[in-house]
Amino acid sequence: MKQPGPEKVLKEQKIDEKWWDNWIRKGGWRPEGWKIIEMNDGPTLNNLRPEKFLIVHRPHGNMFHHSYGKTSKFFMGLLEGKLYGTKCPKCGLVYCPPRAHCFNPKCRLEETKWVELSKKGEVHAHTVMAIAWPSMAHLQPLVGAMVRIDGTNTCLPMTMRDIDPEKVNIGLRVNIHIEKQPKGDLLDVYATPAEKPKAPKRTPEELKRFREDMEKTRAWVKKTFGK
Amino acid sequence: MAKKVGIVAGSISRFDNPRHTLQEEMCAEAVKMILDEVPDLELGDFVKKGYACCYSYFSDILEQQQCMHWIINDYLGLSAVPCYRVESGGATPIDAIVNAALWIRSGMFPAVLVVGWEKMDELPIQKVNEAIAIAGDTDWDFVSGFTYNAFYATMEARRMHVYGETEEDLAQVSVLCHNNSLENPYAQWPAQHGFSKITIDDVYKSRLISWPYRLYECAMTSEGASALLLANEETTKKLTDNPVWISGVGFGSDTMRAGDRPDNPAWKGLYPEDEKIWPKHVPAPMSPYPDLCNFGALRVSARMAYKDAGIRNPRKEISLVEIFDPYAGVVLAGLEDFDFCKRGEGKKLLREGVIQPHGELPCQLSGALTAQGHAVGSTSVAQVVDVYWQLSNQIGKKWGAPGRQLSKPKKGFIHGHGGTGCQAGAVVLEV
Ligand SMILES: [Zn+2]
Repeated sequence: MKQPGPEKVLKEQKIDEKWWDNWIRKGGWRPEGWKIIEMNDGPTLNNLRPEKFLIVHRPHGNMFHHSYGKTSKFFMGLLEGKLYGTKCPKCGLVYCPPRAHCFNPKCRLEETKWVELSKKGEVHAHTVMAIAWPSMAHLQPLVGAMVRIDGTNTCLPMTMRDIDPEKVNIGLRVNIHIEKQPKGDLLDVYATPAEKPKAPKRTPEELKRFREDMEKTRAWVKKTFGK
Repeated sequence: MAKKVGIVAGSISRFDNPRHTLQEEMCAEAVKMILDEVPDLELGDFVKKGYACCYSYFSDILEQQQCMHWIINDYLGLSAVPCYRVESGGATPIDAIVNAALWIRSGMFPAVLVVGWEKMDELPIQKVNEAIAIAGDTDWDFVSGFTYNAFYATMEARRMHVYGETEEDLAQVSVLCHNNSLENPYAQWPAQHGFSKITIDDVYKSRLISWPYRLYECAMTSEGASALLLANEETTKKLTDNPVWISGVGFGSDTMRAGDRPDNPAWKGLYPEDEKIWPKHVPAPMSPYPDLCNFGALRVSARMAYKDAGIRNPRKEISLVEIFDPYAGVVLAGLEDFDFCKRGEGKKLLREGVIQPHGELPCQLSGALTAQGHAVGSTSVAQVVDVYWQLSNQIGKKWGAPGRQLSKPKKGFIHGHGGTGCQAGAVVLEV
């Protein structure tokens, strides 16, 4: 028998302890304020009566120290600007998102091997987010695509840049990029069109509505973030 | 096998957001309605007669309380009663019902009380979205910047591309659900927006969330509770003169990440008749069914429930359907995955009026997730209660809207699912 530890730190990008220390102390569960409200309530709309409620504003915060386990190589790859997936030596399926074990029922959880992937792919399905993550709200309207990276049997969800949201289409060839200053998660990966996009078929009404939606979304971004 | 599982009573404490009332209080409101309806039922019976409880709620994060069901069980006066919680994302409440029915069939418990609830108003809406989205894979789905809105939107974009569904189809589903909810005194839409009908223009005017989905085509976030008392045949007949039976249950699963489905060898060859339905203008993936167009877990759960209930022709035999529709397109996909039509033809049933309240196959009579509401742990319990009230001819009494009672419905189908169709459950009810 052998002990697995202690762990050796090979490389590290430290968190700003001061920033976190400040935040963790704010997450103390004690109310920062409160209000008393009155509202009708009851089990059905045919049976309501006025009730008074006290509401407290109760904060707390967290930071998770998360391991990517045996898929870590994918994220280490991002830090070096490379894209990796895994391949099953038995059935040949190629995964990105990678899996350390093949999920083909025939392969009895065979351990996979790492392969470097091409930075080209194809849009399998897409959307335009008018409400994205709060931290990405300034990028709205934001194209999201399920991208099938060439040679893989899966789709990796990612956002797209340098594309008119009106024109993204299923089957569009894309180039895949990794942020110049990667943070170590999937948001480091994004796609741009590798060919002239073809707009999906829309009726004149649909097109008019779509353009209005985009205008409204951009106006909100401008109003909120001032650019 | 003691196959018959009966519904003795069902109840809902209405959907709204905010309710401000605590979970245990909403649950008590729901269970109190069951006690009022079943005078022969005593809370003390649970220990004396060996009944059990099965609790349904989705999130520990939304109100930062783990093991909420311990509070509920205690609050209801059910200390010492065997209980546990079922949790499987959006499938939580349907799985709780399936689980309770199987408990009864096992012969272990003569009766099981299912209670479902959710509280969703405590966090800011972005954090609510986040708490829900982390039911997706937090390494590979969620941190791509997509919320569930975006994942379901990509799947619908694929349905539009492969099957030719349109934005109008989605808006029509939304209109159907909202207008169905207007006389439902448990529904959130009328509680917040009043009692007038909406049109497709109202849907188009609602804000874009993630193309093609607009606000009125997405589930509401809700608070509320609901309960079902299930029992074996003997106990059911003792406690009620107006029983409805759970004649079939089923459940199924699919990949965690929707993106892993197109070439998934596990689906290959499973439904060859569906694999053949594929248009020439789109390259077919290795496993054309379900791809990102349909929900394989829904198919598995439905066929299991039909087989269990002895249903050969669901379209002919089933009188009404409640689909778990976090997004409007799921109604159309569901109709296909539940064998009410071939894949790609869900839109046909919609356009021909088949799923309207007076159509051949009324769907979403409650208003479902976009209009009745989606207090996750309560959602499918409430949808089963809605169908149970229809089958037991109680809509007039329970809704105060006798005009909404269907004429002599025989069998109802209710489905629920979680994630992007990662897990699904289904039940068949019959009079
Ligand atoms: Zn393999």
